[in-house]
Amino acid sequence: MELGSRVNVELEELRERIWWLIHLRWAAVAGVLVTVWVARHIFGVQLAAAPLYGVTAILAAYNLALWAIGRRLSRVTSAPAVTSFANSQIALDLIALTLLLHFAGGIENPFVCYYVFHIVIASILLSRTATYLQASLAIALLALMAVLEATGVVQHHQLRGFVNDSLYRSPTYVLGVLFAIATMLYISAFMATSITYRLRKREAEIVHLSDALQARADDLAQAYEALRQLEGARSDYLNRVAHHLRSPLATVERMLAVIAEGRTGHIPEKSMEMLNRARVRLQEVLDLARDLLVLSRTREVRRLADRKLVDLAALARQVAGDFAQQAQSAGASLFVSAPDSAVEVLGDPASLIELLENLVSNAIKYSPNGGTVSVSLVTSDDRVVLSVADQGMGIPPAEKDRIFDEFYRATNARESGKEGTGLGLSIVKAIVEAHHGSVSVEGEPGKGSVFRVSLPGAPPK
Amino acid sequence: MAEAVGKTVLVVEDDPDASDTAKIVLESEGYSVIQAASAGEGLNKARSERPDVILLDIMMPSGTEGFHFVWNLRNDPDERLHSIPIIVLTAIHDTTWVKLYPDTADPVYQPQEYLPVQAFLDKPASSEQLLKEIEQALAPKST
Repeated sequence: MELGSRVNVELEELRERIWWLIHLRWAAVAGVLVTVWVARHIFGVQLAAAPLYGVTAILAAYNLALWAIGRRLSRVTSAPAVTSFANSQIALDLIALTLLLHFAGGIENPFVCYYVFHIVIASILLSRTATYLQASLAIALLALMAVLEATGVVQHHQLRGFVNDSLYRSPTYVLGVLFAIATMLYISAFMATSITYRLRKREAEIVHLSDALQARADDLAQAYEALRQLEGARSDYLNRVAHHLRSPLATVERMLAVIAEGRTGHIPEKSMEMLNRARVRLQEVLDLARDLLVLSRTREVRRLADRKLVDLAALARQVAGDFAQQAQSAGASLFVSAPDSAVEVLGDPASLIELLENLVSNAIKYSPNGGTVSVSLVTSDDRVVLSVADQGMGIPPAEKDRIFDEFYRATNARESGKEGTGLGLSIVKAIVEAHHGSVSVEGEPGKGSVFRVSLPGAPPK
Repeated sequence: MAEAVGKTVLVVEDDPDASDTAKIVLESEGYSVIQAASAGEGLNKARSERPDVILLDIMMPSGTEGFHFVWNLRNDPDERLHSIPIIVLTAIHDTTWVKLYPDTADPVYQPQEYLPVQAFLDKPASSEQLLKEIEQALAPKST
């Protein structure tokens, strides 16, 4: 909503209420007709029917005109214009009521109290001042009518059969009624406007709050978009860097390998030694570039449509099979415990394999000779829990929170002499988060570690 | 290797160092090697030489040249080109991350189902891996 929206809201409300008044007036027309008819034919009151129906006809006619004007009201944006429209209607209604009363007994007509309706309506549609002014107009019109009839300037239409005395000529009666009506109208005006004043204040507060809320929501949306773009830019950058590093590094490694394999001729022992040391360092850099690429890819926002039903049990067995050789070389026993039936999650098969490979290779890497690495998969309610346990050096409690950070390696891991990029667990975490899961680690130094990944199970078919 | 004698490998690779290195490995094992530095050159040499197996770098400069090479080869009027085994080398991490068709970015789990090639190898592929894949590609197919 733009500035000045509060004014727009108020104006819109005023338009709606004016429409309500126009519709109400049709009911009033019907009401007058019914009342006149019932008074004449059922109660036998003698009424000047023709003028009464005449005034009612005029009432209906101008309501039609107001209705026609009202249809064009939505295009009127000037508040004063709309307010005048409302004011004029009420003034016209007051005149119409006065005329009806005049043709039906004047001040003797009990319906003289009906002026209060217009005051209540005025307090809903108009300002405090305008309401009091309309009340004053009502009293002025009534007083004028009473005085003109009492002094004989205009004809009094007696309600024979209802009021048989000439009360209209009694000053005390007239003044008494005028006083009563006047106080009623002003007090009603006071009461009704007090209520609507409070109501309007509340409305204004709500609109203000709603504006503020919208502004905050817009700010938030902007901030989020900026963050997403930043993350995307960073991810793109990592992608490009990793790719442009990998390709030439891979070529260099192939060239060195081909020399080391003796395919280019005999290599002296010393040269061979240096060559192989160079290849080891090169492999470290290759691993780093690969991990960076994996990490940046995992963090790319993935469309939900890309996800497939993946059988985690089958993947776990497959990965364990792939690492059997490596485990054996490291002197570790690798076990998989998973249900025979499919354990399905909604996800990206490639990432989930990457996840398993990272956890299993870590477990094997840090396992002692003769140690056991166990991979287990269980379902619990609507979640799937994957655990990879090893009997390795464990993780110091103080470092448990940090091992999932990029490039972080636990102190004992670093000191073990085994190489690592420090990205493996951050890759695991990124994949887990992309799958709306959570990962944690338990264990004590010297007693091994258990990595637990909890993922939402695939929704039932 | 006796099986290598008389067999020709076409190496389609834009990086001359990588191409020459592959040539050294293959020739030292008895294969004849033809080199091409682009998809276009590769197609021409495939048509004229009709190699027994093709080694293809999927990520040549544009990123999609490799794919176009495969599609064009498989749709060539000369039907003999349709069955030449292709071994793809990729510098993008793991076979399951490779873009399999030029238009989409979805990694697919079973790439061989989508691209009519023999195998995917991650760069740097060891000489052992490379030779093993080529052997398998050349092995007579049991029907």
